[in-house]
Amino acid sequence: MLLSYLKIAWKVLLRRKFFTAISLFGISFTLMILLVVYALFDFTVGPHRPELQADRLLYVSRMQLLYREGGQSNNAVGYGFLNQHIRTLKTPEKVSLSEANFNVATAYVGQQILKLDLKRTDGEFWQVLDFDFVAGRPYNPTEVRDAAHLAVINESTARRYFGTAVGVVGRPLEADAVRYQVVGVVRDVPVARANSYAEVWTPVTTGPDDLRKPDLLGKYQAIVLARQAADVPAIQDEVQQLVRHTPLPDPKIFKKINMRAQTLLASYTARFDDNAGADGGVGRFTGLLLGLGLLFMLLPALNLVNINVSRTLERSGEIGVRKAFGATAGRLVGQFLLENIFLTLLGGVLGLGLAAGALALLNGSHFFAYSNYALNGRVFGVALGVVLFFGILSGAYPAYKMSKLQAVKALKGDIAA
Amino acid sequence: MIRHLITLMWNRKRANGLLILEILLAFVVLFAVSSVGVYSWLNYRAPLGFTYDNVWKVQLNPGTQPAAEQFASLQRVLARLRSTPGVVTLSRSVDNTPFAFTTNTAEFKAREGKNRPDAYGDIYDAGPELRDVMGLRMVAGRWFDQRDEVSARYPPIIVTELTQAALFPDGKSALGQLITDNDRETYRIVGVSGPYRAGGELSEPQPGYFLYISPQDTARALFNLLVRVQPGSGAALEKQLNAEIRAASGGWASSIVALPDERATKLKFSLTPPAILGVVCVFLLVNVALGLFGVLWLNINQRRAELGVRRALGATGAAISRQVLGEILVLTTFGLGLGLLVAAQFPLLGVLDVKAGVYGTAMALAASGLYLLATVCALYPSQLAAGIQPAVALREE
Repeated sequence: MLLSYLKIAWKVLLRRKFFTAISLFGISFTLMILLVVYALFDFTVGPHRPELQADRLLYVSRMQLLYREGGQSNNAVGYGFLNQHIRTLKTPEKVSLSEANFNVATAYVGQQILKLDLKRTDGEFWQVLDFDFVAGRPYNPTEVRDAAHLAVINESTARRYFGTAVGVVGRPLEADAVRYQVVGVVRDVPVARANSYAEVWTPVTTGPDDLRKPDLLGKYQAIVLARQAADVPAIQDEVQQLVRHTPLPDPKIFKKINMRAQTLLASYTARFDDNAGADGGVGRFTGLLLGLGLLFMLLPALNLVNINVSRTLERSGEIGVRKAFGATAGRLVGQFLLENIFLTLLGGVLGLGLAAGALALLNGSHFFAYSNYALNGRVFGVALGVVLFFGILSGAYPAYKMSKLQAVKALKGDIAA
Repeated sequence: MIRHLITLMWNRKRANGLLILEILLAFVVLFAVSSVGVYSWLNYRAPLGFTYDNVWKVQLNPGTQPAAEQFASLQRVLARLRSTPGVVTLSRSVDNTPFAFTTNTAEFKAREGKNRPDAYGDIYDAGPELRDVMGLRMVAGRWFDQRDEVSARYPPIIVTELTQAALFPDGKSALGQLITDNDRETYRIVGVSGPYRAGGELSEPQPGYFLYISPQDTARALFNLLVRVQPGSGAALEKQLNAEIRAASGGWASSIVALPDERATKLKFSLTPPAILGVVCVFLLVNVALGLFGVLWLNINQRRAELGVRRALGATGAAISRQVLGEILVLTTFGLGLGLLVAAQFPLLGVLDVKAGVYGTAMALAASGLYLLATVCALYPSQLAAGIQPAVALREE
């Protein structure tokens, strides 16, 4: 039964190739755009290196001070405060402190200027995150405590600064007139990984800041690794408790402190919305994304509906015969839905191919620094879901319309609506 | 003829409902793209008001140096940089330098008079040299100079032409007028300058204010400099400037960016969203065009008998083709009417803070684009309809 439906669908597709091509164009490009967007999303917040264990990671990267007279200050957090309170949390397995944003350091190679994105971190940074070391090793907590001038650099920087990515471990690198010794080379981290991205990482103790200052606001973040994914809510609670018991810097001026341990996605969305609630604006963000996606699919779906409705009129004879021989409306709806899903699946395969091409093009253009976008299992799963949704969305109305045709009229070819 | 067509299509409005809906959505898409396009184009055409070639932004970081020593260090840095060969002139600035992603805004109004409109705009801190560094044009009055060192009753301020027009809509000169920010502090306008759109080419032109930073000011604008260098300066001078700053200040870190590079970054950020929107919309419109074309073609095939009868009764091929084209244009008009209802909500409700004129132009553009799209799609099917031979068409029946 299923097989014969598929055979019919295939024959119908071949009958008028031009219309099949129009439908496939619409479906495949719609899917391509949705898949590219999803791939960018997955690449930014999915479990990829260095945040391979994204479900066990939490970020404490922003603090908000509310003033009594209205107004607020939003910023990253002070090192002293994080070191005293977040590093000593009981639930997490490990806590790492690092600068929330990278700095630009200047290096000179002959007459060439190199602007290097530099991030200062502690030694735990390398244990909490999974960097892919090509050569050498990370600096360890003891070296950070001793303020050793060591640096981990990415492959591209090694190539730009030393001219080669091999054998650079142990060589000196001078950035902003400070000499560091390279101890390790890692694979390039994409700029989309805003919490861990840099080109050069150096010990936090070699920076210009006084790390003992207990200020609440500063320029640092904590990356917290939970023992297991299930511990994440417990850690978030512990941080909430901590914030509740943190005394206000000046109760006459300030009203409240807000600071949360956020998941990777929330740590991004919260950057754009200072007043996001407990979920860091993730709910609103996903809602917005889904809404836009639906809105975007509306036009291509409507287009497909129009073409499908027009094409059903060609098949009125077939429908009339099937009805006359006793096919129920439900069965006909099933058949036409299946045909449409078959068509969208074909479009989906094309769309996946197109998306892979578009992502390769995006990588090649170096529009986003160090991007290597690619399709993966999750993207594939999303593609399948979107295809089915799209197929049902665009197939339901034409199928319903077909099934309502009266056998006598359909056989006579009198089908004007 | 046209009334006849309208009646014809109105009677088939249920059958064509989905098609009308598609045209409506296509119009909304076209309207969105044209709005963004018209808005960006108008902004791009407005003069920038300054030159950015050979201007560098220097950001200073005093590190752990105690705050009390910082001003003396800055004085030494400024003196050292001014005497460095290759540096033409330089000015202290706050971090809202041209093409930076930082903005400072304020709202002023005239202190006296009956009609006192607010003018909301960018506020810049400027030293006496900023005019030469950025190549600003003066329209009336003067730029900051030694006269502003003498303490006057009201601190001096310079406003742009646009600000003058916004603050004094009756057209009188702003020179010498007193203006106030929310009735807190009062300033006297000493000069009216040309535009200074530090937001870059794609930012919306808005009023601008310059506050005076005295060379003796120890509180504001300490860690950003704008430096005009000799044409052709490159890495060598940049390295030297960094070294001079470090030596003169006793260890300050500094980072130098050329404004043309800043401009490129800013353009990349401001152009990416419209570019993505454009690509997505082109795809949607191609989709609509193909769909419309397909539906029309199938329609013609189903109406062979009807069109054959018209031919047999003496209608010419051109008349048939006009009818098909007219029908689709009437249908487009229905969709357009509904679409205009949707689009009109934007200026009416003032959803986004954009001038109504932008929406008007965008609507006109979108409407003509929609008619063009419909005509192109209907051209071939209408030729097909004109070519129907009555004898053949009627025999099929």
